[in-house]
Amino acid sequence: MVEFIIPVRCFTCGAVIGDKWEEFSRRVKAGEDPGKVLDELGVKKYCCRRMLLSHVEVIDEILEFSKFKGEIKKEPW
Amino acid sequence: MEIKILELTENKAKFILSDVTPAFANALRRIAISEVPSMAIDDVFVYENTSVLTDEMIAHRLGLIPLKTDLDSYVLPEKCSCKSEMGCNRCRVIGSLNVEAEDGRKTVYSGDLKFEDPEVKPVTDKIPIVKLEAGQRLKLEVHAKLGTGKQHAKWQPVSTCAYKYMPTIEVNKRVCDGCGRCVEACPKKVLNVEKEKVVVVDLLSCTLCMECVKVCPKEPPAIKVKGDDKTFIFTVESTGCLPVKRILVEAAKILKDKGEELSRQIKELG
Repeated sequence: MVEFIIPVRCFTCGAVIGDKWEEFSRRVKAGEDPGKVLDELGVKKYCCRRMLLSHVEVIDEILEFSKFKGEIKKEPW
Repeated sequence: MEIKILELTENKAKFILSDVTPAFANALRRIAISEVPSMAIDDVFVYENTSVLTDEMIAHRLGLIPLKTDLDSYVLPEKCSCKSEMGCNRCRVIGSLNVEAEDGRKTVYSGDLKFEDPEVKPVTDKIPIVKLEAGQRLKLEVHAKLGTGKQHAKWQPVSTCAYKYMPTIEVNKRVCDGCGRCVEACPKKVLNVEKEKVVVVDLLSCTLCMECVKVCPKEPPAIKVKGDDKTFIFTVESTGCLPVKRILVEAAKILKDKGEELSRQIKELG
């Protein structure tokens, strides 16, 4: 699911999932099994599980571009 | 009417409601979803936003954060005596958020929101609102108000609020030869074979899918599955704004008020 930043709530049921993203992504990157991490975080329903499983944090890439903003302002023109 | 609690924690409840009509169970469910008030951010005044997300997107994300609700000290804005557009201390809480990323990337969390009433706070402090690059800043003021799920889903106090009929499974012991096909077919592992007969091991998990009846080789099938429309298995999950017990008590109160209002109006007519 390509969202800018992790959604606050599950699209289907409305349970809060935003607060679980950072731990989920950190542990999965460290090599843990995503299914197990979700179980341990208490994300039971499959609607909520897909929110975290399929998320791509695009904002990290967008932020790379906004880095230049400050420097351009300082140019003489 | 009888209630048997199977599971009750702060944020989740599972119980059996028996001897009621489907209409009553559905009324309770619908009221819990759409008419029990809870608190959420409704107005956002943006003073400075140099982040990569637009003001609207940030306001939307802020609105979805569930807030701990104090139902006894606040009233719904439309029922408040102040009648003012900006609200008063009884119908809204003012909060503020001011974060600047000085050196390096910084995430703004729900915990950065500070309200003037310490009782009102986000349910969790760890929901990311936006990410800021060095030099970017987010400064805003928010007004949180009570509201109902009818107006906007952000005010819905429950995430799941559902019921199903109590299943009744009957196995005809004289016809069943314990072939075990229904045990294999059952997606919820409700059945098991014991002493060459099929027995029910986990009745409450049954979803009434009827798969076991379809695969039974006997004609007519040796297994009968029915839903009891007087008994309901309720599952209620709160978003954290109110304890799930309080949500159900409030829902029952609202239903009672509605019933009283109806009988009052009927009396007026006759």
